[in-house]
Amino acid sequence: MVKMSLDAVQVMSGQVKELKVSPSSNGDARGSWEGKEEFDPSQLELTAKPKPPKPENAVTVAVSSRVLFRTEREQKVFEQKGVEEYLRYQIEHENEPFAPGPAFPFVKALEAVNIRLRELYPQSEELFDIVLVTYNHAHVGIRLINTINHHNLFIERFCMTGGSSPIGYLKAWQTNLYLSADAEKVREALAEGIAAATMFMTEKLTEVSQSQLRVAFDGDAVLFSDESERIFKTHGLDKFFEHEKENEDTLLDHGPLKGFLEALGKLQKKFYAKGQRLDCPIRTYLVTARSAASSGIRALKTLRAWGLEIDEAMFLAGAPKGPMLEKIRPHIYFDDQMFHVEGAAEMGTVAAHVPYGIAQKYNSQQKMSSGK
Amino acid sequence: MVSTVTNTDVKQKDVDQAVVVAVTFAAVFEPETEDGSSIYRLGVALPLVQVLQRVNERLLEKNPAEHQLFDVILITTESWQQQQNSSIINSTRHHGLEVGRFCFSTEEDYIESLMQNNVQLFLTTDGNEALQATQQGVPSALLDTNWVSCPSEQLRVLFCEKAIFQLNMGSTEASKKSAQNFLAHLGQMKQKFGVFDSPLCFTLVTSHGGKDNCCCALKSLRSLGVSVDEAYCLGGAPRGPILSLLRPHFLLSDGFSLLEG
Repeated sequence: MVKMSLDAVQVMSGQVKELKVSPSSNGDARGSWEGKEEFDPSQLELTAKPKPPKPENAVTVAVSSRVLFRTEREQKVFEQKGVEEYLRYQIEHENEPFAPGPAFPFVKALEAVNIRLRELYPQSEELFDIVLVTYNHAHVGIRLINTINHHNLFIERFCMTGGSSPIGYLKAWQTNLYLSADAEKVREALAEGIAAATMFMTEKLTEVSQSQLRVAFDGDAVLFSDESERIFKTHGLDKFFEHEKENEDTLLDHGPLKGFLEALGKLQKKFYAKGQRLDCPIRTYLVTARSAASSGIRALKTLRAWGLEIDEAMFLAGAPKGPMLEKIRPHIYFDDQMFHVEGAAEMGTVAAHVPYGIAQKYNSQQKMSSGK
Repeated sequence: MVSTVTNTDVKQKDVDQAVVVAVTFAAVFEPETEDGSSIYRLGVALPLVQVLQRVNERLLEKNPAEHQLFDVILITTESWQQQQNSSIINSTRHHGLEVGRFCFSTEEDYIESLMQNNVQLFLTTDGNEALQATQQGVPSALLDTNWVSCPSEQLRVLFCEKAIFQLNMGSTEASKKSAQNFLAHLGQMKQKFGVFDSPLCFTLVTSHGGKDNCCCALKSLRSLGVSVDEAYCLGGAPRGPILSLLRPHFLLSDGFSLLEG
C-alpha cells in the first residue's frame, strides 16, 4: 500500500445544501485525529457554484475517463504491467492532471451552452448534466478529480465502478448519451436503449467553436433505423433507390441517436423562445450519403413528422464525408460505419462510432485501427 | 444480568487480534421457531454472517496462522430473548453458524455487554439500538432488510454520510476513535488481498457537497489505510437507485466523513 502523506481536510458544515462555512468554524476540537488539519479556502466558494440539476430534468451526458482525458500512457502500464502496477502508477502521479481527450471540446461546449441557458432561465434545471462514468478503480478517483479541477470542468457527479459494468448506473442517472472508448460497453448501452457511441483519440484535431455547440449526425442507423442500410448492403444501390422511392411516404423507424437529437432540439427551442434563433449556441447537422433529389426526401419527411428540426442537412449522394465535416467543424460527429469515422478523423473531426445495425457485420471484416 | 456463553462448536478467535462483530438475535433469527420445535428460523442477517465467514476462510487460505479474523457474536437485546438462551444456542448450532459466543443481555444492559466484549461493530435491524450504541461509543450499523437478501462471496461495505441517522447526532470523540479503529482493521484485512477477487469490497457514496467532498473522503479513508474500490459522487441526486444497484451488506458513516449530520 502506498503511504501518502496527505493531511485530511476537514470541512464542518451545519447544513448540507448551502455550505456557508466561516473559517473559524473549522478545526472543531472533535476532529483532532489526523494531526494538523489544512483548511482549503476554495471550499468557501461552494456557495457560488450552481447546484447540479436533477437527473430527470437534465440532458445527462455520461463520459468515460478515457474519452474525456488522454490516458494512453496509463493504459500501456495496465496492459504491460497489470492492474496493481497501474493503480500504483496512478497514485504516484495523482497530482499530474491528464491532458484533454477527444470528448473534451464537446464537454466544454456543453458547459458553454449551460452558461447561456442559466443566463436566460436562472431557475430552470433543463441543462446539460455531465457525469463521469468510468469502470476505473476508485484509486484513480483523486487523480481524476484533480484533473477535473485543473481544467475547470463543471462535473459534480461521477461513478467509478471499480470494474463492474456501468450500465445499471447509466440507467439510474437517466442518461441521454454515453461516450466511451470501449465498444463493448457502448454496445451494451445501446442494447439497453441508451444512446451511445465509441470515441477514439485522433492525432489531428481541427479547432472548433468555443461558443457554439455543433453536433453532426449520420442518417441511417444513427438517427434512423438501419432498414434502408440493409437493403443497400444486401441488394445494392439500385434496389436501395427503388425501395426508397416506393416508401417515400412511409416514415423511417427511429435509430439510437434520435432521442439525443430530440433533447438538443428541446434546448434549442428555449433559445428561440427568447428571440435567440440567430444566435443559438446549439447547431445540429445531418451529414448523409443519401442524395437530396431522391433518397433524401424520405429522411426529411421523417424528421419533419417527428417534429425534429435539424439546422443543416448535407446530402452527399455518396461523396466522402471528410471534407464536408471539415467545413462544419462539429464538436462530435456520429456515424455507424467505421469507414466514415476514420475518414472524418483523418481530416481532424472528432467522430464517434455508433455500433448499431447491419453495418457492424461489415465493420468487423475491415481492418480497424482502434486507437484508444 | 448478562451471561456470556461460548459456542463450543466453533474454534475461538484470538482475543487480542480478532475483530469482534456483534449481531442481534432479531437480525440473525426470525422471532418464531419452526413448527413443533425449538429451532428458530434464519432471518435477514444470514447472508451477512455467511459472508463474514467467507472472509475468514479466505484470510486463512492466505495465511493459516492468521489471527485478524472476524469474531461474530450473537447478542440478545430484550429480556424475552435472554430467556430463550438454550433455544438460541441450539438453533445456532443446528444451522451451523460460525458464531463464537453468545451474549444474553436485555434492553437494559446490552450496551454494557457490547463494551465488555470489546465489540468493534454492532449490527442490528433496530434504529434505536444502533443510535444508542453509537452514542455510547460502539460503532454501529443498521442492517437494511432490502439489500441484504442475496448471498455473496464478497463482503460489501458502503461508506457514506448519514448511514443511519437523519438528524445531526454529532458523534462523540469516543465513537469516532472506535469507528476509526474498526476502519483500520477493515483496511488491513483488505490489504492482504489483491485488487481482483478480493472478498472485501469497499464503496464510497457521497450525496452532497460535490467532487471535492468526495475527494476529501477518499483521502481520509486512505489515510486510515482503507482503499476504496468504487466511488459514486451523486451531487445531490437521490441515492436510492444507486444503493439498490450496489447492494451493500451494511453502511458506515463514522470516523471519516466530513459533512457530518
